[in-house]
Amino acid sequence: MAEPVEVLERRIDALRAAVRRSVVAGDTARARALRAELRAAERAWDEAIANLAEATAPKPEPVATRAVPARPVTPLLPVREQVHDALTLLTVPAAPKLIADVHEAFFGTGGLAAGRLTHLRRDERRSYETARRARPYYLCSALTAEYLTPARGLFAVSTWPLERRIVGPLSPRVHFLTAAVRIAERAARLPRVSAAVTRLLWRFATNIPGAAAPGQLPATVDTRVIIEAAGDELEVHIEADRAQRAAAADRARRQLDDVAQLFGHTLDRVRGTKTA
Amino acid sequence: MTSMNTAERLAAIRGGAKPKRHNARTIAALTRNPGCARRAVLDCAGIDKQRLAAYVDFPARFGQSQFAIARGNAFEAQVKADGAAELLTLLRERLGLSIPEVAYDDLASVTGREQESPEVRYARTRTLLIRAATGAGDAGTLFDHPLLRINVAGQPVYLEPDLIAFQAGGRFHVVEIKSFAIVDGQADAGKVSSAAIQSAVYVLAMRELLAEAGFDPEIVSHDVVLVCPRDFSNRPTAVLVDVRKQLAVLRRQLGRMTRIDELLAALPPDLSFDLAPDAAGVPTRDPAAIVTALRAIDARYTPDCLAVCELAYFCRHEARGCTAALGPATREALGGIDRVETALALAHDVLPPAEEQAEAAALLQAAARLRAEALAGAPA
Amino acid sequence: MSTLVALARAEAVAAGFAQRTTTVRHLHVAARPLVFVPLSMAGEANAPLAALVGTDPAAPRLLVVPQPRNRDQRFRFAAELAEVLLPYLDSFRGVAEAVPVNRGKEIRHRYVDAPQVLVPNPAGIQFTRLLGRSTRFRRTDGDYPVHPSVPLLGRWLTFLADRAEHPGSCLLLAMTEALTLHWATGQSPLEDNHLAALLAWIDPPDGLTGAEAAARAEDPLTWPPAGPLTDPTFDNEVLAPLIAAYAEAGDDPGRQARAREALAEALRGQLAPTWRLMWRGLALLRDLPPGARVAQRWAEDRDAFTGFASYLDEGGHPQPRRDGAVVAAQRLHRLERALQSYAVQRAYDDPLVMADYRLTGEAFVGEVTLADPNRIDDSGRRRVLRPRIMLRTTDPVQVTPGTAVYSPDRPQQKARVVLVTPRPDGTGTDVVLELTGGLGRALTPAPGSVPEVGERVCYTTLSDGFMPPGEFPAREETPWTHGGPPTADEEAVEPTAEDALEEWE
Repeated sequence: MAEPVEVLERRIDALRAAVRRSVVAGDTARARALRAELRAAERAWDEAIANLAEATAPKPEPVATRAVPARPVTPLLPVREQVHDALTLLTVPAAPKLIADVHEAFFGTGGLAAGRLTHLRRDERRSYETARRARPYYLCSALTAEYLTPARGLFAVSTWPLERRIVGPLSPRVHFLTAAVRIAERAARLPRVSAAVTRLLWRFATNIPGAAAPGQLPATVDTRVIIEAAGDELEVHIEADRAQRAAAADRARRQLDDVAQLFGHTLDRVRGTKTA
Repeated sequence: MTSMNTAERLAAIRGGAKPKRHNARTIAALTRNPGCARRAVLDCAGIDKQRLAAYVDFPARFGQSQFAIARGNAFEAQVKADGAAELLTLLRERLGLSIPEVAYDDLASVTGREQESPEVRYARTRTLLIRAATGAGDAGTLFDHPLLRINVAGQPVYLEPDLIAFQAGGRFHVVEIKSFAIVDGQADAGKVSSAAIQSAVYVLAMRELLAEAGFDPEIVSHDVVLVCPRDFSNRPTAVLVDVRKQLAVLRRQLGRMTRIDELLAALPPDLSFDLAPDAAGVPTRDPAAIVTALRAIDARYTPDCLAVCELAYFCRHEARGCTAALGPATREALGGIDRVETALALAHDVLPPAEEQAEAAALLQAAARLRAEALAGAPA
Repeated sequence: MSTLVALARAEAVAAGFAQRTTTVRHLHVAARPLVFVPLSMAGEANAPLAALVGTDPAAPRLLVVPQPRNRDQRFRFAAELAEVLLPYLDSFRGVAEAVPVNRGKEIRHRYVDAPQVLVPNPAGIQFTRLLGRSTRFRRTDGDYPVHPSVPLLGRWLTFLADRAEHPGSCLLLAMTEALTLHWATGQSPLEDNHLAALLAWIDPPDGLTGAEAAARAEDPLTWPPAGPLTDPTFDNEVLAPLIAAYAEAGDDPGRQARAREALAEALRGQLAPTWRLMWRGLALLRDLPPGARVAQRWAEDRDAFTGFASYLDEGGHPQPRRDGAVVAAQRLHRLERALQSYAVQRAYDDPLVMADYRLTGEAFVGEVTLADPNRIDDSGRRRVLRPRIMLRTTDPVQVTPGTAVYSPDRPQQKARVVLVTPRPDGTGTDVVLELTGGLGRALTPAPGSVPEVGERVCYTTLSDGFMPPGEFPAREETPWTHGGPPTADEEAVEPTAEDALEEWE
């Protein structure tokens, strides 16, 4: 027989106090041990309460409630394909947050949480190394123009030309503006613009000069204006950015093997040297 | 030579433990109550004051809520997302940054690996900032995650600010991103002032870096850009904060700490805060011995310490009976008399005042007479 | 800080208990106050987490926001608070009294009583202000509609928070400030912000000194902070797992209910100790005898309450985000006048407060040694009654001949200093005063209107007389040097669709 609820509640209270005291005392080891005990007691309390509710309830209809799935339906496409869809729309390297937002806006019902992308690149690299070119595409890194190392937190697609996967100092802005154009183009073709698409467009419009008027409301955002404004600013940066990336891409082709061209160089062997 | 001796001496005072690393917040805290020798010595020696305070049974009561930390991280990530798109908008609107100036350099990583020595990262920051200061064609505009260095008590301390140094027209500005709100143009004054002093630490470190390389340190502006959420939203807004005053305070205090030798010379030669942990990491040193060691260094307790120093509760206990423990205003109103019992004895005319106490004693006696008279005539 | 209050602090240290700094209560304590103890989530501008609220010490209402970052839940909190607060405010709108104005030529009405809301500390007032700011512009139609009570609550909370800045007003009070106005503890003013420690000094449990009880009261595990911020270890070790459990419970009604219940219990545990302290503080304040001019200030509060209630009845718009230049200057002028008048009134009501001014020479108390009550001044066109008195005081006298002084005992009378003569034997100072006003209509003074020989009287340069209001341009004539006429953000206007969209998440 499990402990009575009241006993558990007193234990939980005592454990909470003990955890907090050990934290204040800077005793992390003890805090950790007590925390584990506390979680166990909380689980026991939860179960005890659930049992109690079941015992006292006048026999509900368990079949009906059990039939309802507890979790939302997992999307049919695997994560890598969802990421690929989003990147293909964007045509430029992107961070998990933007990938997830684009996916939600244009491809479906939530499903793709930015957090689920954490191990994706490592898995892709492993897969590439074991069976090279077994897949039509891999999700790989964008490379920094200066050191050809993997750019933090950015995803790219292996089938893109190397130049497009390089990130120079101007590239983050160029990527942002290009993404704005692509997203607006895609949104313009939709029969109905959803709230998620509007939110996404608004985020771009408010950060591009001339893309949104002062005092304008998100619902009235205009895709044509965004495309035009983003295009105007792109013209300012695009040549310098392209030149920097092309130079870096040449260097990468000369110096890096297949894997490093996709997943970046780690400078392990050439520590401290700077590629000129 | 002296600095080696100082370093050794500080290491001995610290004992076997690893030195506690400074950050902008702890350096900023040094500027509060600069007259406290106890704090100066413990901080210079890199002692974990939180652990020490708990060990002598006066645990500090401040910590950070994970909600506040999460909110801070999320806001910072948002402002910096997509090549710092939101930040660029603010800098363009508020500071007239021109359209071509969008270059974004992430200095977080050189080799693309997780662990990198601070020297390597500092070198890269230095290279890029100097290149920017030289004003070459690809000078760069935004520099994210720079690693800066500052000397505290003769020891180099690396600072890892979550900030972007932005340069436009040959002038650098420190950008500080904070998650407290600016509602209708107003923000919590205490939070703004902590942000200002932290930013001042970065300004100082950047100025030192550029001055060493032969540039005019003034090319780092004393106006820092403070970016905060606007009203109740997640939308950022930016304000300029002049940190000249904070810079002066900081310089004075850091200068004072370089003279730590003078403080050390006055201390017992065998002074140590080693907790002497056993194989399992359990401290074996008698807490009473730690208390004795603490008492060997003079403290200057004020109630403000409670919010900034981990040892404050210990020092407050020690300061019981001192007028300073009642706050500077009370101490002053009591004529600057040190001890409460002295002030009372003078007030009630049971202690003949010393010459320098005569004026205070007359005031206290008048106050005591008036207080007694008013209370005696008061309705019950 | 005055030397008298500092001395009281020193005495509190020696005694181990708080010491009185007043002889009377300078605040109005309502017969039916409402206590509001809010908690907010760390790191957010104004995210309500929970609150205890109500007028019955035995039956507070607990409001809980299981996911404080959720916009809808925040507005639900506001609507629930409105369910308690709005009926409370309305309950004072029953009986009104007629007040003659304009020298009795006109009559206006004011309610005979008014609400009084108490929060634990100044941060609680700031919470109230921000909650008012974040709700008063909401709309009940269009996008993101809210319950009609929400914007109304916002306007009232803003009114209360504004009024709390008005010196001497008692519509919204912070308990720590109300208590420190009357007692000095043996700790610093900074530490007095801790409600549990402050009350421990004033009213410690049996067998403990105030100092001992205050030390215990600082343990956040037994005495949680009085809010709105919670203790960080509570956030990290208790609150975060419970909020996570609620989120994980998803749509399972049983699990969700249990998770909510666990969360509510934990938050109640953080709030209940402060709730009890609030009522203890109220009882202590109520025990003090009220000062003579407290009722007069409460009448001004009732005026303000009556005025704002009718403003809202007439469809008044929400208060602007910022004050325009003229309104801001008028407000500042009003607050300065109120501050001065509040200080004077407290001194008039309370010899212990007046003692501060005696110490600095702005007031003196002495015994009347000579009196010429029937003195006539016939140097002018008309013979007038100008009694003179001489009093002897041991207080330091800083006034000079010609200065006008007043006595709290005869506030209608003015006295002019004629002579100030230190006694040669050093036993004090003789002061000769000439009296005008408050003597009756005849050429002989009304009985009791002139202090008699042997009477102890107090005279001060502080005057509680009429202060003329400042003159300001009309708002639409704000000079360009002050930003010109008010912008939309600076005027009370109908909230726009954009206002309603203002994010709160």
